[in-house]
Amino acid sequence: MIRFENVSLEYTPGRFALHDVSFSQPAGAFTFLTGHSGAGKSSLLKLIARLEKPTAGFISIDTIDYDTLKPRHEPLLRQQMGIVFQDNQLLNDRSVFDNVALPLIIGGYRYNDIKKRVAAALERVGLASKAFELPIRLSGGEQQRVGIARAVVAKPKVLLADEPTGNLDAQISAEIMQLLMQFSASGVTVLVATHDQGLLETFDFPQLTLHGGKLVDIHNSSQATAHTQNTWQEQPSSQPAARESRIKRRQTSSRHGE
Amino acid sequence: MANRRTSETALTNASLAAGPKWTYTHRGYALAQSFRQLRQRKFASFITLMVFGISLALPAIILFSAGSLAKLGNHNIEQESLTVYLSMQVNDLDGASLAQQLLLREGIDRTSYVSRDEALAMFKEQSDIGDALAALGNNPLPGAIIVYPDVDMLGAVGLKQLANSLAMSPSIDRVQFDFRWVKRLQAVLSLARLVGWVLAGFLTLSALLVIGNTIRLELLRKQTELDVSRLLGAKRSFLVRPLVYTGALYGFLGGLVACVIALITISWIKTPADQLSGLYQSAFQLEMPTASQCFTVLLIATCLGVLGSIVSLARPSNHLLPFGTKPV
Repeated sequence: MIRFENVSLEYTPGRFALHDVSFSQPAGAFTFLTGHSGAGKSSLLKLIARLEKPTAGFISIDTIDYDTLKPRHEPLLRQQMGIVFQDNQLLNDRSVFDNVALPLIIGGYRYNDIKKRVAAALERVGLASKAFELPIRLSGGEQQRVGIARAVVAKPKVLLADEPTGNLDAQISAEIMQLLMQFSASGVTVLVATHDQGLLETFDFPQLTLHGGKLVDIHNSSQATAHTQNTWQEQPSSQPAARESRIKRRQTSSRHGE
Repeated sequence: MANRRTSETALTNASLAAGPKWTYTHRGYALAQSFRQLRQRKFASFITLMVFGISLALPAIILFSAGSLAKLGNHNIEQESLTVYLSMQVNDLDGASLAQQLLLREGIDRTSYVSRDEALAMFKEQSDIGDALAALGNNPLPGAIIVYPDVDMLGAVGLKQLANSLAMSPSIDRVQFDFRWVKRLQAVLSLARLVGWVLAGFLTLSALLVIGNTIRLELLRKQTELDVSRLLGAKRSFLVRPLVYTGALYGFLGGLVACVIALITISWIKTPADQLSGLYQSAFQLEMPTASQCFTVLLIATCLGVLGSIVSLARPSNHLLPFGTKPV
C-alpha cells in the first residue's frame, strides 16, 4: 500500500510542486494519476521513487517508512520498483536483452536466473524474437514494451509509469495499457501518470486528479465497489497528536533548510 | 501446438541473446563496459592511449637505463687508477717492496709496480719519440706504482684523500690523477639523473591528468546510462566501477605503448651509445630492458590509470550523487 500523509514538495520557497497531498492506494491496484502539465504528476511519482524528498509530510510503501529510510537503502527501495518513462530511457548501444537484464545485474541475480527472467519478460511483452536487436531499430511501441519488460523483469511490488503512451498512437497505447493491466492483475501496484483523456475514458480505473500541486479529486472506477482492492481513500485530515507534532517539526526544519 | 512451439523458439532465442556469463556479474559488467568504451570509440581511445604512452615513454626509458647509467658512474671511477711516480733514487727492489706495502693501506685494492725499464719499453712502444730517448744514453723515466683504489673508497673525495696521503711518502715523487675529470663526470651524471627524474615526474603527472580528463569526459558521455542505472537502484560502486576499470585499462594499454616506444628507442640508440663508449675505452653498455622492468612499467601505468580515474571521480557529479542532492 502506498500512503501519502500531508505531503508537500516545495522546489523554491512559496512554489509548491505538491501541496498537502494525502491518499492511500491499496496494494495491487491499478490507478491513473491525471492532471494538466505541471499539475504535479511527475513530482508525485518522483516522491514515490524517492528521486525527490518531501519538504513536509510522510510517505510509506507497505512497511517502508520513507521518513526513516537511510540514504544507503534508497537504491534497494528502487530495486523493488519498476519505472516506465515516456521516452523509454533505453540504452541504444546494447541489445534488447541486455537492456532488460540491467535491473537484474544491478540486483546481483545469477546468470541462469537472468536468462530465464529476461526471456520470460520479453515473451510477456511479445518481443522474445527481438532479443538480439538494438532498441534503436525497434518501433516506438516496441521500444516502450522493452521499457516495460525492463521495469517488470525483477518482479517489482510497485510499477510507476510516467506518460507511458505519450509518444504513441491510440492502437499502440491500448496495447501498452493492456500490458500494464496484466501486471496489475498479477498483484503489482500500478500507478500511471497521464493526461490522455482518451485513455482515461477507454479504461475505467480509479483516478487521482491533481491541479496546481493539490489533489483535487479521487474518482473510483465503476467496478471499484466490486473490487475492494481497487478502492481509493483520501486520508483523514485529522492526525494523531504525535504524528502532527512530527509533521510540524519536519516543516520547521525544512524551512530552515535542514 | 504450433503456437506453443513458436513461443518456445522465441524464448530460446531470447536466452541465446545473452552475452558471456562473466558479463552479468557486477565486476564483469564493469569490465565489459570498459572494453565496450574502447571498442566503440576507437579513434578517441587510440589518441588517448598514444598521449598516455608517449608521456610515459621517457620515464620508462629512464627507468630502463637507470641501471646502466649508475654502472657508468661507478665503472669509470673503478677503472681509473692513481699513478704514483717514485723518486729516481728508488731502485726496482725497493719499488716492488713499496708496492706490496701500499697494499696494506686502507682503500687500496691492488697495486702494480712498473719498473724503470718497463716504463721505457712502454714509452717506446706507445710514443713516436721513443727512439729519441735512446740518444740520452740513460733511462730518464722513474719507476712507478699503479694504485687501483678500493671500491669502498670510490668517489672524488676519497681518491683525493688517498692521493694526498700517498704523496707524503719520501720515496714518492708525484701522484697523478685527474680529479677534475671524475668530479665533472659525476656532476654531469647527477645533473642528468635529476633532470631526468624531474622530467619523468612532470610527464607522469601529465599522464595522470590525461587519464583524469578522459574519465571525466566519459562520465559526461555516459550520463544517460548512469541516470538509468541509478533509477533502477544501482549503488555508487556499481556506477563508478566501469569508469575506474576504464582508467585501469587505459593505464595498462598506455603502459604497453610506453614499453614498446621505450624498447624501440633503446634498441635504436644502443649501437651508437656502445660505439661512443668504446671510443672512451669504457666498458659501459646500454642494456635492453628485462621482463621484470617492463612488468614494473605496466604495473605503475595501471596504478596511474586507477589513480587518475579515482581523482577524477572524487569531484562530485550530478550523475553519481544520490537523487535529490546537489554537488557542493
